[in-house]
Amino acid sequence: MALGIVAITIFAILGAQLIRLQLLSPVSAPELITGEQPRFTQSEAARGLIYDRNGTPLVANVPAFVLRIVPADLPADDTARRAALVRIERESGVSVATLETATKHGLALVDSTAPVEILSIPTVTEAIRLRTSLANITAIEVATLPKRIYLDGELVAHLIGHVGSINEADIDEYLKAGYRFDAIVGQSGIEAIHETALRGSPERKLVVSDPTGRELANLTKLSAQHGDNLILSIDLELQRVTAESLAIAIKTGLPPEIPERMPPRQAAAAVAIDVRTGEILAQVSLPSFDPNILGSTEEAALTELLTDPRRPLVDRTYMEAHAPGSTFKALVAYAALEEGIATPGTTITSEGAISVQDEYDPSVTYVFKDWAAHGPTDLYQAIARSSDVYFYYLSGGYHSEGETLFEGLGETLLAHYARESGLGQPTGLDLAGETGGLVPDPTWKSDVIGEHWFLGDTYTFGIGQGYLSTSPLQMAILTAAIANGGEVLIPRIALGTHTAHGFIGTSRAIRNRLSDKKHSLAVVREGMRVAAEAGGTAWRGKPDGLTIGGKTGTAEFGLPYADGEFDTHAWYIGFAPFENPEIAVAVYVEHGIGSYEAAPVAKAMFEHYFDIPTSE
Amino acid sequence: MNHTLRRAFTRQDRLIGDPFLICAGALLGTIGLLSLHGATLSEDVRVSDDVIQQSVFMSIGAVVLIVVARFDYRLLRLSWLPIIAIGLSAIALVLVLIIGSTAFGARRWFLIGGYSLQPSEFAKLATVVAIAAFASYHNASSRWFTVLLIAFLVPAGLILIEPDLGSALVLGTAWLVLMIAWPLSIKGLWAIAATVIAFVPLAFALAVPGYQRERLAVFFDPERDPLGSGFTLRQVEVALGAGGITGRGFEITESALSGLATRNSDFALAQIGEQFGLVGTISVILGFSLIAWRGLIIANSASDRFGKLLALGLTSLLIVQAMLHIAVNVRLFPATGIPLPFISLGGSSMVAACAILGLLISIASRHPADPLERWSGERWV
Repeated sequence: MALGIVAITIFAILGAQLIRLQLLSPVSAPELITGEQPRFTQSEAARGLIYDRNGTPLVANVPAFVLRIVPADLPADDTARRAALVRIERESGVSVATLETATKHGLALVDSTAPVEILSIPTVTEAIRLRTSLANITAIEVATLPKRIYLDGELVAHLIGHVGSINEADIDEYLKAGYRFDAIVGQSGIEAIHETALRGSPERKLVVSDPTGRELANLTKLSAQHGDNLILSIDLELQRVTAESLAIAIKTGLPPEIPERMPPRQAAAAVAIDVRTGEILAQVSLPSFDPNILGSTEEAALTELLTDPRRPLVDRTYMEAHAPGSTFKALVAYAALEEGIATPGTTITSEGAISVQDEYDPSVTYVFKDWAAHGPTDLYQAIARSSDVYFYYLSGGYHSEGETLFEGLGETLLAHYARESGLGQPTGLDLAGETGGLVPDPTWKSDVIGEHWFLGDTYTFGIGQGYLSTSPLQMAILTAAIANGGEVLIPRIALGTHTAHGFIGTSRAIRNRLSDKKHSLAVVREGMRVAAEAGGTAWRGKPDGLTIGGKTGTAEFGLPYADGEFDTHAWYIGFAPFENPEIAVAVYVEHGIGSYEAAPVAKAMFEHYFDIPTSE
Repeated sequence: MNHTLRRAFTRQDRLIGDPFLICAGALLGTIGLLSLHGATLSEDVRVSDDVIQQSVFMSIGAVVLIVVARFDYRLLRLSWLPIIAIGLSAIALVLVLIIGSTAFGARRWFLIGGYSLQPSEFAKLATVVAIAAFASYHNASSRWFTVLLIAFLVPAGLILIEPDLGSALVLGTAWLVLMIAWPLSIKGLWAIAATVIAFVPLAFALAVPGYQRERLAVFFDPERDPLGSGFTLRQVEVALGAGGITGRGFEITESALSGLATRNSDFALAQIGEQFGLVGTISVILGFSLIAWRGLIIANSASDRFGKLLALGLTSLLIVQAMLHIAVNVRLFPATGIPLPFISLGGSSMVAACAILGLLISIASRHPADPLERWSGERWV
């Protein structure tokens, strides 16, 4: 019975408390019995701006007007709701069907108090007209939103990227990072990579709202923090000069259209890098596009951009790799010198071709051609005149009737030096989607192609063709390493950010230091200097009054024409000034010849960088 | 075994119902359903899914009640059963910690085809049955006390880990009642008291999660967190005050509780108070008082020791849970999420509560030593 008394006592106490709370001294709070509750709201801060290295702005935030609808604020009654939608249709031109979808699906299902964008208003006058004509529909608001404009859009489109709504696949990640699901975020390029810095911190408010979500009072507010401004290493004017000369190169390099062949591709890319720091001074890929289209609601323009057969969205400087052709000979020369295969004085005679007997059937002979019969050449001349036979010897050696007459590097050592120089792997550029290219070797060939490695493979490897593929950026890094005494730099686009606590810069980083026990790099530089002088193949890349090192490349690709000739890519690598190098460039033109199409681009870039008057 | 099972459902014993218990259960269930209906009513929804679901659970509960009432509770005394019951409970509770679904920061539910099952509701029941069975076989001794302590600590500990402090408290109180009724010696009870006093601070530091500590702090100082759980407490008071004597009405479009996600479960009493006023809340208290009164009478009049202990333990489970829920809702206890039996939205809680009523009736039916037998002695099923 004791338990009964305990139970009765407790129930009595509870009952008494209920009587107190409900009858004797009820808490009276008329403003609270409607179910008002605190709620957090958030709006993003002004996004950080992006500048080139000289302080030229590349983006701008401008106000854009949008018509938005708040589904929760529409009349609940069906007839009244319908009437409101019809009025909105009449004033704005947005169909009732679209309005129904916008207010009943997607975001509206998750949070009916969140405004849904239904129309972007082009002009201020139109915004004012809509604001007045739809003033008495509470569900409609004309909002002013910050919009990202890309000022020199096409020039830096690939680098800067664009902003847009969060992709469905990434939504959880962004929600975790404190974004609202309707936030605008960096989608590609620098905008995506530096999203955190550019975003700043949003304004957060604690408001009291009624059960339908309407804000009644503002309790506390955390002010927005402007996003950090980002400084790029790009020199916009050098970028412009590069783009203009690349556009000319595309035009002059185009072969005549031949009916039974694929229409020629129109693409080109160039990179200029500071050989001392790894800063990218110019990085252009053509064709380009207007980044203002991406992330906009212009469906037609967007579809056209995405389905363009020239694939303008692909950045040819680092997302694609092609055979580097004879520009690769600079690396072969360095490797051969370093390994003691050759000295600067090693003389080999090119009679226009060498022939190789089949390894299994000596009666079969393969002929490896040179582009010209150069006669006896030393290493400097071989680089300057780009003798193929010379580099067949250096890479694969020369063998006749089972005897080795000249010992070559061999494919394994060659692949080793190529990888040491940063080929075959991404350079580590601060942008997403970089290709590593390909440095072939016997293991790779048997794994992927399923064939043995032949001497012929070593020969084509030695002149930068066959399976080898490199991106223009990788070739620029390689050129910079030759120029700066062997430092394989990690390139960077971002110089730093201006934050609330001052400037925070990125720092110089190197991936690898090339061995240079025999001062081989100096020999290669000298060979490239001779190449860029009169009589060398690279002379068209040299501006008047400046000593440079250069090397052309003309890589065959595709199927041979009826006369045995191939289509070719044009390449050019170079550095300047010769004595104390500051800048290295790599130019790639799809369809063309190195000295005709690629070299003039490099020349224009040097002329702009060193402020030399343009010459013909 | 077959013979025993068949016997369990025969009508050899006169099945005497307990009209008070049935009435109390029906009253509470009806109040709960009405309150839920009013709270989920809107312009677009005439009968909400929650109401339909709760009605289905009430029907299942009624069937469970009838089946269990006709079942001879003495079969639960089989010697192997307590071990099975504790074992299954422990397995279910461990499983729910591993594969259970999380809501409001606790992992307490299995999700099965859109419905959630809360094993702790049944684990409490199984534990009380097991302890009553153990205790009815053996007289109190320090050895058997240790066994019963372990039989209690395993499920209680697992429930505490979920974390579900409320359910653990309910089970702990029921266990304590059983220990007193066993009867454990005065010395033993002092030992329990001393242990509790010694271990509560330690348990508080180890097993009580941060949010529960914060709630405790807010309980003593509502101004500490006026927008979090302090806001909840204030809204609950406002709801009760707004209800007054007769309530704001069955259907309130703008409830003071509309911001609370758990208003149909953890704050069911406050909602009834807002809708039906003091009349509603006092009715709820009377309903549970009735159950307490009948439960104690059934325990007193049970002829065997098992029936007595079982009736006491089960009554404690229901009543202590109701008391805890009401105490939280009237600001006499720190906020802890505990459903109100028969009333709160939730199938597991409803079915478990009905099973308890069924067992109490089973005990009463087989030993109708009550004066009421004369006028309620007709078969009710």
